[in-house]
Amino acid sequence: MCFIMAMKRLKVPVLLMSMVCAITLSATSDEFVTALTGKFPPFNYYNEGGDLAGFDVDVSREIAKRLKKELRIVTTEWDGIIAGLLAGKYDAIVASMAITPERKQSVNFSEPYYRSGAQMFVHRDNPNHIYSIDECSGLRIAVVLGETYQQFLEKNYPDIEVVTLKSTVSIFEMMEQQRIAGFVTDRLVGLWQIKNAGRSFVPVGEMLYTESIGIPVRKDSNKLLKQINRSISDMKVDGTMDKIYQKYFGTVGVAEGESAVGGMTFSIIANKLLKGFAITLLIAFLAISLGFLFSIPTGLLLVYNSGFWALPSRIIRMFVDFIRGTPVLIQLLFVWLGLGLKAFPAAIITLGICAMCYMAEAVRAGLISVAPGQALAARALGLSSFDRFRFVIWPQAFRIALPSLMNNVVALIKDTALVSIISIPELIREAQSIISVTFEPHKYYLIAALMFFAVTFPLMKLSGRIERAIQAKGFKHD
Amino acid sequence: MIKIENLSYTYGDGTQAIKNLNISFPSEHIFAIMGFSGSGKTTLLNCISRFIKPQQGKIFLDNQNIFEMDVKSFREAIGVVFQALNLFPHMTVLENMTLAPCRLRRINEKDAKNSAREMLERLGILELADHYPSQVSGGQAQRVAIGRGLMLKPRLMLLDEPTSALDARTTEDFSHWIRELQSDTNFIVVTHDLEFARTAASKGMFMSEGEIVESGNIDGVLRHIKRG
Ligand SMILES: Nc1ncnc2c1ncn2[C@@H]1O[C@H](COP(=O)(O)OP(=O)(O)O)[C@@H](O)[C@H]1O
Ligand SMILES: [Mg+2]
Repeated sequence: MCFIMAMKRLKVPVLLMSMVCAITLSATSDEFVTALTGKFPPFNYYNEGGDLAGFDVDVSREIAKRLKKELRIVTTEWDGIIAGLLAGKYDAIVASMAITPERKQSVNFSEPYYRSGAQMFVHRDNPNHIYSIDECSGLRIAVVLGETYQQFLEKNYPDIEVVTLKSTVSIFEMMEQQRIAGFVTDRLVGLWQIKNAGRSFVPVGEMLYTESIGIPVRKDSNKLLKQINRSISDMKVDGTMDKIYQKYFGTVGVAEGESAVGGMTFSIIANKLLKGFAITLLIAFLAISLGFLFSIPTGLLLVYNSGFWALPSRIIRMFVDFIRGTPVLIQLLFVWLGLGLKAFPAAIITLGICAMCYMAEAVRAGLISVAPGQALAARALGLSSFDRFRFVIWPQAFRIALPSLMNNVVALIKDTALVSIISIPELIREAQSIISVTFEPHKYYLIAALMFFAVTFPLMKLSGRIERAIQAKGFKHD
Repeated sequence: MIKIENLSYTYGDGTQAIKNLNISFPSEHIFAIMGFSGSGKTTLLNCISRFIKPQQGKIFLDNQNIFEMDVKSFREAIGVVFQALNLFPHMTVLENMTLAPCRLRRINEKDAKNSAREMLERLGILELADHYPSQVSGGQAQRVAIGRGLMLKPRLMLLDEPTSALDARTTEDFSHWIRELQSDTNFIVVTHDLEFARTAASKGMFMSEGEIVESGNIDGVLRHIKRG
């Protein structure tokens, strides 16, 4: 039984292969014919000796070797390169072609053999301590005149001062003189140019956008596509791709888009995390203080909902319900983008209002659980209405509300993480920027979580202790 | 000292709790307002202490219409201890007693504490000074509540059902205690407990369905009730 199945498994692909070979191969079946332009250093170009060289050429060679075929490279113009493929002039295009939906309509692409895209580079010493494009507001960032990166930056990062220079050479000069903080170009082309020029510039942060580069074949070349994919994945696993990558782009990473550490030392990382956390705590503190302050009149208004206060009370009720019933994230984005507030005030106001509404509920619950006789007794003693509230009602309501107020504080501190979305450099955002350089998400997200926990855990413990102390004094929640 | 003329009180639901009531309470150390449950005693007490406003009639305290008095001087003249006592649970016994003197009379805290201690000593409960209300017994709480009211040295104290939370023995202790209490204050004690009224008060009145059935010396009133 087992033997028969093994036989079948062997037989079918062998049979298929011979059929496919017979029908579809344009060139002789022991040749692997590829096309490129020869005008795209360092990927494909003619070297000083007039021979074709480059990343694509090396990759083509390796694939041919794995296909056990002779490699023949055809050079052709970029404009007609796909038409040539469809006409059967060659089997595949290994010419740094980005995988796009439009191209996919006429050809099938292999898995990406490398990725590239727009990348920011800074000097290795990183004098401005830039670890991502988000930190470049107000800084001078250079691009080569006429490249699409200029429009991209102006559109997406209006705070950056984009400097357009004639060539890479002048960019490198300006970098050495520290007249620009960094530059944006294609990641791999940039790495190659830096390596060739012997400069010490490094990529920082994630690519601004990425392109996946694949090998197109005709839609009927399924067999070949599978073999190419297998070869690419083998090359990635056995280190061949890495070796080719190193040859052109230096010792700064591997082909799958990883980046250099960019001189991010432990002290810089620690500093960034602590600074980020300080901002997190500052936002939390301001929002919670503001929220608590306003939660008292709000809570009062929720309770005293008769007579003159009936309408205001009803409006506040609606407002509180609305805030509690909608995601904080949306509220943040609404205030930041919708109302156009600056990020920091937007965060404080939004989280402050949230804190107010959540805490007002706790205050309300506290107020209504104070026995009505307490106010009456205070009145019988002749205390003014303010004194009645301050000395009799509020202290009792506060004690009853305290555990749930504390829970709200913990929840609000955690919610502060959300403000990373509106580009405030708080803990999460700093962690992300570190991760974009170090590629250690497990480590830095865990550290960020522990930093939060270091603050929330004592608060939770304290809340439990207060609750017990209050119960010991004869207060109860009901 | 308290004179009531044509007093009527009807609740929002139409219950007429007091019906055209006329009486003059003599200045008596302890005067009992008796009556079975629902007879209108608490309603009358709430009228006298100005927590509810009668639809008809007048109440005079030493010839002054209480509804025309300034609130602060009225509260200082008449103290009230409710049936539920309503001690402030977040304050010690001493703090319960000093709050009103400190806030109303602007007495500094130290002096207020000293006079509160004196008061507690006179009431025989000095050892409770630093206890919280949840830590004292029902009988002790009753005394603390009365002590808290006495701190402002009112002319008149109104007590609503002071024995309702006490058992027979502590009720007897309490009636002796209040009887022997040296005080410049007169008490009006509202109670449905006739035995307590007999031991504690010397004069009193008996209410039924919002009207006065009998008033005068306590023994006379009680005899009348038992006969009726
Ligand atoms: N808040 C109220 N609303 C309506 N009726 C009430 C209210 N309080 C008391 N009553 C009614 O008024 C009458 C007198 O009540 P109350 O003064 O409490 O009597 P007592 O204190 O003698 O037991 C009773 O019939 C009682 O049901
Ligand atoms: Mg009653």
